[in-house]
Amino acid sequence: MNDQSSNILEVIQVENLRKEYGFLIAVDGVSFSVKKGELFGFLGPNGAGKTTTINILSTLTPPTSGVAYINGYNIVTQPDQVRRSIGLVFQETTLDNHLTAEENLFLHAMLYDVPFRVFMQRRREVLKLCELWNRRKGLVNTFSGGMKRRLEIARALIHLPQVLFLDEPTVGLDPQTRNKIWDYIFTARKKNNMTIFLTTQYINEAENCDRVAIIDHGKIVALDTPDNLKNMIGGDIITLHTTDNKKAIREFHFKFPQEKIKHIGNKIQIETARGDEFIPVLVKTITPRITSLVLHRPTLEDVFLELTGRKIREENNGKIKEEEAPFDLASFFSLFAPLPEEKEEEKKGEEIKTEKEGEGEGEGEETKENKEENEDNRKESEKEGGTAEIDEEEEEAVKIKVD
Amino acid sequence: MSNYPNYRESSSRKLKAIYTIWYREIIIYFRNTLKLFTSIFLPLLILIFLGTGLKTILPTNILHYDFSKFFFPGILGLSVATMALSSTMSIVWDREFGFLREILVAPISRTDIAIGKILGATTVALFQGFLLLLVFPYIEINFNITVFLATLGTIFLLAYGMSAIGIYFASRLKRTESFSFFLQLVLLPMVFLSGAFFPLNTAPSWMATLASFNPLAYGIDALRWTSLYYSLPRAQLNNITLHSLPACLIILVVFNVIITFLSVKVFQKIK
Repeated sequence: MNDQSSNILEVIQVENLRKEYGFLIAVDGVSFSVKKGELFGFLGPNGAGKTTTINILSTLTPPTSGVAYINGYNIVTQPDQVRRSIGLVFQETTLDNHLTAEENLFLHAMLYDVPFRVFMQRRREVLKLCELWNRRKGLVNTFSGGMKRRLEIARALIHLPQVLFLDEPTVGLDPQTRNKIWDYIFTARKKNNMTIFLTTQYINEAENCDRVAIIDHGKIVALDTPDNLKNMIGGDIITLHTTDNKKAIREFHFKFPQEKIKHIGNKIQIETARGDEFIPVLVKTITPRITSLVLHRPTLEDVFLELTGRKIREENNGKIKEEEAPFDLASFFSLFAPLPEEKEEEKKGEEIKTEKEGEGEGEGEETKENKEENEDNRKESEKEGGTAEIDEEEEEAVKIKVD
Repeated sequence: MSNYPNYRESSSRKLKAIYTIWYREIIIYFRNTLKLFTSIFLPLLILIFLGTGLKTILPTNILHYDFSKFFFPGILGLSVATMALSSTMSIVWDREFGFLREILVAPISRTDIAIGKILGATTVALFQGFLLLLVFPYIEINFNITVFLATLGTIFLLAYGMSAIGIYFASRLKRTESFSFFLQLVLLPMVFLSGAFFPLNTAPSWMATLASFNPLAYGIDALRWTSLYYSLPRAQLNNITLHSLPACLIILVVFNVIITFLSVKVFQKIK
């Protein structure tokens, strides 16, 4: 009896799920369970194993090891029953562009063996809900990205699934459409008392969930309600920017050894219980000039940062890389021609700028070195203006002009 | 705990799944009016221009029969085969546009999907064959209901086999660009060794040997027998075909059964 009631209560049960692709471990021993009616979120960066988990749970990919039950059915031994219990919305669209909205729904109903009368009633409900009733006879080809998404969610609801899987449902959509789709998901959920399993890399979407699992490198690093997760950080977060971050950190450690402090990019982050009262103390303690200071309540982004040491969506790992200019003939020939003095001054100005930006760390020096080299080359070429090689080059250039 | 408790893997459920896949192929074919038009237009073009042109260098006093009579069943077979093969390309399209996933996660078996796809392509090719048959009376072929039905039946056998070949290869292809390579590599040798353009029994024996491995050659031979049965004397039919009608039909049926198994097996491994 216990087993049965637990089956009803916990719609998704996953134990020690693993998926390996050769040497790559996409999902590394994931365990969790989702209660009926819950909105459960998987939050993590690209390539964390979110989609692989959904593919395994929806029986598209067999797991390497581990067990999972959906609606009480084993995903390996009872794939057909699992498939009838779930609705899926993939990251990329899976609509048939050649067909109308209505035909897409009809084919889905046929594939899931929904009786025709039930379908006619569901079709109306579902199309009205996602505001596509007027466009039901339109070809999917002519739909916008947001409309396609809504139609896809509508389609996934046709066969009244127990669990709705949403794999990054709003990725690539504008904020307005995103909000609309979320309204729609919430209404649908309320109407059908559905369980929703969501993967996302957007913090605000994860904050709407009943419970969130933070996933990184195929492992769940934390699983709790968004509020509890944020409480892990303990209080407020102060982000500040000073003229000498290293010195500021040293001073801070000396005065408040019990507080947490981190150096992220060119900013300092401090976690403290009462941020508003701490700021005046902080300002007095630190001698380098503070250029900016922000106090905010922790978000799931901060939780992720705390747990993994990285941001969820890092661009270029926080570093700014200078792009090499493509080879162009004009600048090549300019090496052999003496530059006017004004330009050299400009170049020197640029050097100073780059030094400032890089804060004397690596890259600024590199560019400086490069420029020095270039200058050396130029001087050399100026001196050795009469050597054979350069004559040849110039001759060729002349020939080209003549031709 | 399923929503529809009377669910079971019954034969009516299987038929519904096959019907659904088939139905979609048919909708797509008839919605694509350009494809519909070219599929009729091209074979007629070949028949009228190439056929008329070739007729002038092969006059009746050499051949002892009208060249267009020889040529027509060949073009019929070719266009049916091309149509069947290219219709299976919908799998590659579906993969590229994501719809294949919707089908693959549905609670229906892979076998049913593959058979639905084969039957869809077969129907499309059969329809095209039917339209071309309407030209029959204009090229002085003795036309009656027996000829019509027998030819249509043969077209079905040929179309089915070619569709199954198409599914067998198309399920392995990941990108739509690869499909044109596939058509060139598989279809062209089959076409040249099919006896559509010249009788194979006057060709060198190595060609005839190669052609005996070509299902399209049997299909076109069978089409010649069925469509020209009342138009040419037996002896002449024997001269322009490599195999007898019963042999062709038996081989086509056996081939269809084997290739169905193979293509279903390949389709089950699709990801």
